[in-house]
Amino acid sequence: MLACLLPCVIVGASFGQESRHFYNVDSEKMIEGKIQEIKMEPRYKGTASFLVIKLEENGTRTVYNVEVSPVWFFDQDFHKGEDLTVIGSYYLSDGKTSNIIAREIRYRGSTLALRDKHGFPNWRGGQMKGKRQKRGKGKMGL
Amino acid sequence: MVIFFAFSSLNRSFIKGKVEKLVDEQLQATSGILKVNFSHLLEENYTPEDIFAQFSGEKNIYYMALLDGNRQILGWQSQFEGYLPLSKESLATERTWIINSPAGKIFNSFSSFSLPGGSVYFLYLGYSLSDLEEMMIRSRKNFYLVFGIIVAVGILFSVGLYQLQLHYLQKKRELEEEKKEKERYRSISALTSGVAHEIKNPLNSLALLFELLSKNAPAGTEEDISSGKEEIRKISRIIDQFSSSLRPVELTKEAFCLGDIISDVQGSLEKEAKERKVQIQFVQSHRIELLADKGLMRQAVYNLVKNALEACDGGGIFIRADQNKKRIRIVVQDTGQGMTNEEKERAFEPFFSRKKEGMGIGLYLVQKIVHAHEGRIDFVSEEGKGTTFTIEIPGG
Repeated sequence: MLACLLPCVIVGASFGQESRHFYNVDSEKMIEGKIQEIKMEPRYKGTASFLVIKLEENGTRTVYNVEVSPVWFFDQDFHKGEDLTVIGSYYLSDGKTSNIIAREIRYRGSTLALRDKHGFPNWRGGQMKGKRQKRGKGKMGL
Repeated sequence: MVIFFAFSSLNRSFIKGKVEKLVDEQLQATSGILKVNFSHLLEENYTPEDIFAQFSGEKNIYYMALLDGNRQILGWQSQFEGYLPLSKESLATERTWIINSPAGKIFNSFSSFSLPGGSVYFLYLGYSLSDLEEMMIRSRKNFYLVFGIIVAVGILFSVGLYQLQLHYLQKKRELEEEKKEKERYRSISALTSGVAHEIKNPLNSLALLFELLSKNAPAGTEEDISSGKEEIRKISRIIDQFSSSLRPVELTKEAFCLGDIISDVQGSLEKEAKERKVQIQFVQSHRIELLADKGLMRQAVYNLVKNALEACDGGGIFIRADQNKKRIRIVVQDTGQGMTNEEKERAFEPFFSRKKEGMGIGLYLVQKIVHAHEGRIDFVSEEGKGTTFTIEIPGG
């Protein structure tokens, strides 16, 4: 039985399943970079497509897939080449692709809160717009 | 209110404690059941995903995760996208704890179980009795609603009670004043009746004497005797008027036109008005019919106009009558000397007068007549400028 489960374990990481990811408070990091691409992808079974941004980190030029939120939750306009700062939970998929599940996005002087400090999604409870905050007054999670 | 608040708060704390204990027990029970089921399924080589698929419909299980003996996550599921609040800290020891989330309080459990073969696994479970949580929220809202209602009712009640108290005190004051007034009236009435009676007897004798004298009067004295008899009649009239003014007013109501009695009063005082160079004007909005004691109302209007006339040295007296719904108003305004402060305070007092003539019962009588008609009388006066009396009585 253990032999069946072994392929599912990733060495060096706490999490077993590549295709299943959750918000891990122990792997939080902040990334500042430029938007390379904007796409919509299914992320969770039985839910709407998610907005995913490809972000190139300043300096390291590492490219991250940033999972933002369900498409309907967002009313912002992102553009390629714009600066973006993301705080979120990091994980590696396929052994090489860097991913971030975003908790907070800072964009054009606004702070957008997507999840609370434990990772609870702010869009739960119905169709809501992402709440725009003034610079310096980010909604730091619930 | 305070007691209700205190009692409800304690009650709510007690219920909250009980609820948390209940949920904790449910959590332990559910965790136990899941671990038994997971053991069986793992022994039968089910994958964690297949295992979780069998328990995905449980609405009170917000999330769960299966970990191996090294605390590596083998599989997990959650009702909320990407939400599994698991950290190194929470994996350190087997325990239960509570997380506050936007979905309410989530009771967490991290505990181990073993398979018969010796393999150790861990189950992480996030559990919440959402119905109970809703009930607690509703209970809290209901508490605030009821408390708010009690506060509002309490305030209204207190205000009402205060108003009632004020009203009662005012009524009590009015009754006491009325009682004093009645006592005073009774004393004066008794005194005057006695005095009038004592005077009337010798006066009657005097009248008889003068009558006899007139029949046997020496020549040249007829005029003097006639004057004497007239003076006796005058004294008698004064005494009668004096006595009747202090008796209770009894109304004999009839329908009549208000304008008629005012015009009549105007006519009867016209000569005196001319002598004083005072102009009397009367205006009414329309023909006003009322049901009242015609004689007494005429008396009241006469007394007011007469007073106004005596206060004027030239100038004018303006009489106005109008009707507003079921109230009739009579206004007598003069441009006379006005009243001093003392006169204003004692205006309706019987036997109070600054005039050389008269007994000082004119306004007292007017007030009696108006009150007998369930009306009210007020006045405004300014020294040197004039006085305005206003009578309001029901009618029409």
